[in-house]
Amino acid sequence: MSPTQTPPADVASTGILVSGVARSFGDVHAVRDVSLEAKPGNVTALIGPNGSGKTTLMLMLASLLQPDRGTIRVGGADPVTDAASVRARLGWMPDILGSWNVLTVRAALETTGRLYRMSRPEAATRAAELIDLVGLEPLAARQTRVLSRGQKQKLSLARALVHDPDILLLDEPAAGLDPVARHDLQLLVRRLAGEGKTILVSSHVLAELDEMADTAVYLEAGVSASAERIAAAQSAKRAWRIRSFDSASLDNALLAAGFTAAELAYDRGDTTVLVDGEAGAAALLTKLVRSGVAISSFGPAVGDLEHTFLDLTKNTEGDAL
Amino acid sequence: MKTFFGGIGTIFWLELRQRLRGVAWYVLLGVFFAILLVVTIVTSVVVYGFARADQANVQDAAAQLFSYVVYFVLLLGTLVAPAMSGNAINGDRDAGTLATTQVTLVTTWQLILGKLLAAWVTALGFLLVSSPFLAYSAIAGLVSPLIVLASLLVLAVELGIVAAIGVGFSGLIPRPLFSVVVTYLAVAALSLGTLIAFGLGGAASQTSVIEYGYDNVHVKTQTCTGLEEYPTSVPRFDHVWGVLVANPYVLLADAVPTSYDKNGNPTDLFGQLKYGERSSQLNPVDQATPAQECKTELAANSNNYDGGPSARDTIDSTTPGWAVGLAIQLVLAAAAVVGAWARTRTPARKLPKGSRVA
Repeated sequence: MSPTQTPPADVASTGILVSGVARSFGDVHAVRDVSLEAKPGNVTALIGPNGSGKTTLMLMLASLLQPDRGTIRVGGADPVTDAASVRARLGWMPDILGSWNVLTVRAALETTGRLYRMSRPEAATRAAELIDLVGLEPLAARQTRVLSRGQKQKLSLARALVHDPDILLLDEPAAGLDPVARHDLQLLVRRLAGEGKTILVSSHVLAELDEMADTAVYLEAGVSASAERIAAAQSAKRAWRIRSFDSASLDNALLAAGFTAAELAYDRGDTTVLVDGEAGAAALLTKLVRSGVAISSFGPAVGDLEHTFLDLTKNTEGDAL
Repeated sequence: MKTFFGGIGTIFWLELRQRLRGVAWYVLLGVFFAILLVVTIVTSVVVYGFARADQANVQDAAAQLFSYVVYFVLLLGTLVAPAMSGNAINGDRDAGTLATTQVTLVTTWQLILGKLLAAWVTALGFLLVSSPFLAYSAIAGLVSPLIVLASLLVLAVELGIVAAIGVGFSGLIPRPLFSVVVTYLAVAALSLGTLIAFGLGGAASQTSVIEYGYDNVHVKTQTCTGLEEYPTSVPRFDHVWGVLVANPYVLLADAVPTSYDKNGNPTDLFGQLKYGERSSQLNPVDQATPAQECKTELAANSNNYDGGPSARDTIDSTTPGWAVGLAIQLVLAAAAVVGAWARTRTPARKLPKGSRVA
């Protein structure tokens, strides 16, 4: 997570506010108690394992599903009582890739524009802009059925942007994208956030969210994790990966630094050890450098989001046992 | 208001483009054309073949031909229409395009009415393909333009009713295959079920009446003596004729203006069916009075034969069944469409079991 300058946050009128929201399907409690806040100009990551209620939450934000309890404000409007206002300023990229099969990419985007009450010329202009933005020019005149998964993903993103919404819900936007497209997506998302849009992104690929998200909301079994639990998880011991071409002297130095042989783990030629927070890592690195070991790489074994997420999941599993 | 129709228009064109770009529709149109061609030729041969024995009948036979062709178009049209509409909404949900449409500024009514309109227009394509055959049989039989116009109008309306029922079920039932089948069942219920219900309903609601007879009829004094009473029971079709007129074929026959011969008998198939249906509206108890019986028997025994009311008199004195049938069909179709709206509108409160919003 990179700290960014926070623009004047007017969450009440342009961001997303969720408090105490629950939704069940029959006896399946998909979302039990979720509260979150997504600020304009920020990319907020929505993180949670499969079945934790991410998509259900997105559907409620997108004004497609009514919550059983709790309140939601999207750009200041209630999606239940004032769906039209929410829809006018919200772009939703779903996790499933439906497209009008026989329409061309261009026609699909133009039609979406028309559904947002644009005039025919407006819709055509906007479609051309978006095709350019997501890089689908070579396929603009092809039927959407011939698109690959990643290309459909781009089309889906373009469709979410048709009416230039201030609020974006991206459900697994990077799934199926190649590394180049994934990088482009990150840049685009950051750029949109820079324009002051409120962006909520869910993904399983936490490393990728690490690079674009400002803040994160953790969902687990339909409940959003509290700030205290997140703080506790973030300060928990964390694995650091150390690389040296002379692994024997590295091991000796680590033993000298106070680790037992059992605490050293090996992964693809690197050594990993559990360290207490950033301060602990800095202290360890100092010790290793002083002992004269040639270190070529030293860093956290997993990203911030993943570390927090894994730790939260681990704790919950511990609670359950 | 302009925005409302604009939204319907966008959905309509979207649906139509998707249907017309597919090969399936054109193949169906081709098959439809081929079947009608065969049916028209075979029917012509049969009808003219029977008529040839008596030259005077050729014109009547030609008039009959038009009725047959119209009925075949109705049969084939109502067989094809459910496939055009029965998966309009749940098919989109399966394809993952429903939710992305619903998050736009299109309302649920615009979505449903746009789809309904598209399904109807697609079904009307079949009417267009059948126009050469309708034109041929109308011209050959010198059928009055009014009859042709009424037939076409009823055909178009019936295809619309089936389209509405199909779109309705596609919103009410989660699985596309199931909703298409249920739409077919609804068409079968209207086409065959109404006939069975009419027969059974009439038989089940029997009333005991007394039939009269006379031992002696005196033509000179115009009196009857020796009244006999025979207690019996008669089926009360006049209680259930509303079911019969909801049948598309009966409705069509009833709606078309009838041409009569000099005795007041209808000349085409539509008229004959119409006479039968209108007769069922009459209360059999009213007709059976001693005075009526005497009159009938006197007429039967005298030379100036008066066989009671002619078909024309009966038709003119009874309720236009097509209006009642159409009202019943419209209520059914509207109920299905409103039900689909309630099931499809967002934000959704309840979801059908095993389905996702997106």
